[in-house]
Amino acid sequence: MRLFWELSKLAFQRQLTYRAATLAGLATNFFFGMLRASVLIALFHGNSEIAGMTITDAITYTGLTQGTIAFLSLFSWFEVMNSVYTGAVSSDMLKPMNYFNFWLAQDTGRAFASFLLRGLTIMIAYAIFFDITTPQSMPQWLAFFMVLILAWLISFSWRFLVNLAAFWTPNALGIARLAFILSWYMSGFLFPLRFFPPWFVKLCYLTPFPYTINAVVEVYLGLVDGQALVGIILAQVAWILMLILASMIALRAGVRRLEILGG
Amino acid sequence: MANMWYSIDIYRRLISVNIRGQLQYRVSFLFDFLATALITVLAFGSVALILQRFNNIGGWTVFEIAFLFGMAETAFGTMDMIFSGFDPPYFGQRVRIGSFDQMLLRPVNLIAQIFGSQFILRRLGRIIQGSIILLIALTQLDIQWTAIKITMIPIVFVSLVIFFGGLFIIGATLSFWTIESLEVVNLFTYGGTEMIQYPMSIYPDIIRNFFTFILPAIFLLYYPALYILDKPDPLGMPAIAPFLAPFVAMAVFTLAIVIWNYGLRFYQSTGS
Repeated sequence: MRLFWELSKLAFQRQLTYRAATLAGLATNFFFGMLRASVLIALFHGNSEIAGMTITDAITYTGLTQGTIAFLSLFSWFEVMNSVYTGAVSSDMLKPMNYFNFWLAQDTGRAFASFLLRGLTIMIAYAIFFDITTPQSMPQWLAFFMVLILAWLISFSWRFLVNLAAFWTPNALGIARLAFILSWYMSGFLFPLRFFPPWFVKLCYLTPFPYTINAVVEVYLGLVDGQALVGIILAQVAWILMLILASMIALRAGVRRLEILGG
Repeated sequence: MANMWYSIDIYRRLISVNIRGQLQYRVSFLFDFLATALITVLAFGSVALILQRFNNIGGWTVFEIAFLFGMAETAFGTMDMIFSGFDPPYFGQRVRIGSFDQMLLRPVNLIAQIFGSQFILRRLGRIIQGSIILLIALTQLDIQWTAIKITMIPIVFVSLVIFFGGLFIIGATLSFWTIESLEVVNLFTYGGTEMIQYPMSIYPDIIRNFFTFILPAIFLLYYPALYILDKPDPLGMPAIAPFLAPFVAMAVFTLAIVIWNYGLRFYQSTGS
C-alpha cells in the first residue's frame, strides 16, 4: 500500500510540472467546448427542452465532456505499450508489486492531477462564462463522485487491456487506436447518448463505454436517480470486474510470450 | 534549376523510404488505416444519426453538412499527410532531441528534408472516407451547376490544404521558442477543421469574428459553400466573399513562410 501511495504521488507531481502545457490544454478544451455547445444550441431550434435536457444542461454537458477527457484519458494512452517496446517492462515486472497495480497506482496520481488541473478548472471557467447546471443535493454530489471514480476504473482497466496487445505484436499502435476510437464514439462524448435513435443507444449499452462519460453526465445533471442510479453503479462495478479479469488472463498469457532483447 | 531537381529527387527518395517503412508491419498498418478512416465515418455518422431527430443544424440539412464535412476532412487529411513533417508536436520533438540540428548541417535543402521526414500514409483513410462523404453530398444535393461552381470545387480544396499547411508551418516555428505550449496550435488546426464542418452562423460572435477578421477561415469553406449550394448569407458579407478562398490561403501561407524564415534566423539549438 505504501508503494502504491508513493507511485501515485510521483505520477501526480509529474503532471504538475508541465504548467504551460496544462494552460495550453485548458485553452484547447475550452475552445472545443464552446464549439460543441454552439452545435448543441443550434440543434435545440429554440426548444427549451429535448429528451429531458434543457439548453443549460446541454452547455453543462459540453463542459463535463471536455473536463473529463484528461481525467479519464479514454482516447489515448500508450504507456504500458511503450514500456513493452522500450524493454522497461522487464524491470517493472521485477518490482515487488502486481503489474496491474503498478500501473493503477501511477494512473491514480495522473488522474487526480488531471481532475484538479483540467477538470475542476474547466468547470470553474464554465461557471464563470455560462449559466450551468449543478447537482442539487449532497446525495447527488456523492453519487456523482462515486460514478466518476468508477468511470475512471472502467477507463483504466480498458486501457490496460488494450495496451496488452503489445505483448503479441511488435506494433500494436493501430489496434490500440482502433479500440480507443470505439470508446470515443460509444461513450456519449460526441453527443449525449439520449439524443441518438434508441437502437443505437441499445448497441452502445452492450459495451462498457456508456458507463464512462455518459453515466457521469447523466448523474451530474440529475437525469437519473433512484433505481436507475443503482443500476448504473452496479453495471459499472460489473464491467470493472470483467475487464480486470480479462486483463489478468491476457497478462498471464502475454508474459509467457514476452521476450526481452538484451543490450 | 539543377539544385531544385536534386531537392525534389531527395524528397521523392525520403518519402519512398518512409512509405516502405510504414508498410513493413502490414497488420498494424491495416488497423491504423481503418482507425483513421473510422474516425471520419463515425464522426459524420453520429451527426447523421442525430439529425434524424433534429432535422437540421442552423438551417443546414444532413447532406449540406456532409458537403462541409467531406470537403474539410478530405482537405485536412491531404494536408496532414503531405505536411506531416511540419506537424507541430512531431516537429517540436525533433527540435527537442536535436535531430533538427542534423538536418541543418546536411548539404541538402532543408524544406525538402522536413517534408521528407514524415509522410503519414494512414491519413489516406481519412482522405478516402472524406471524399466518399463529399461525393455522397454532391450526388444527393440538387446543385445548380455552373462553370464557376465547378471550378470552385478544386480551388476550395487546394486553398484549404494550403491554408492549414501554413498553420502547421507557423506551429512548427513556434517550437523554436516553446515546446510545452504547442498544444495551443491544435486550437487553430484541429479546432479550425472541426469548426468549419458546421455552418459558421451557429457560433457566438467572438469565435466567428476571430475566424473572420483575424484568421479568416470563414472564407475558405463556409462562403464558397453558401454560393455553391445557393444558400442566402445570414451574415450580410459583400458579394465577393465566396471567392476569397485562394487569396486568404496564399496570404496565410506567405505569412507562414515569413515567420518560418524569421524563426530560423534566430534559432538556437537546445544543445543537448
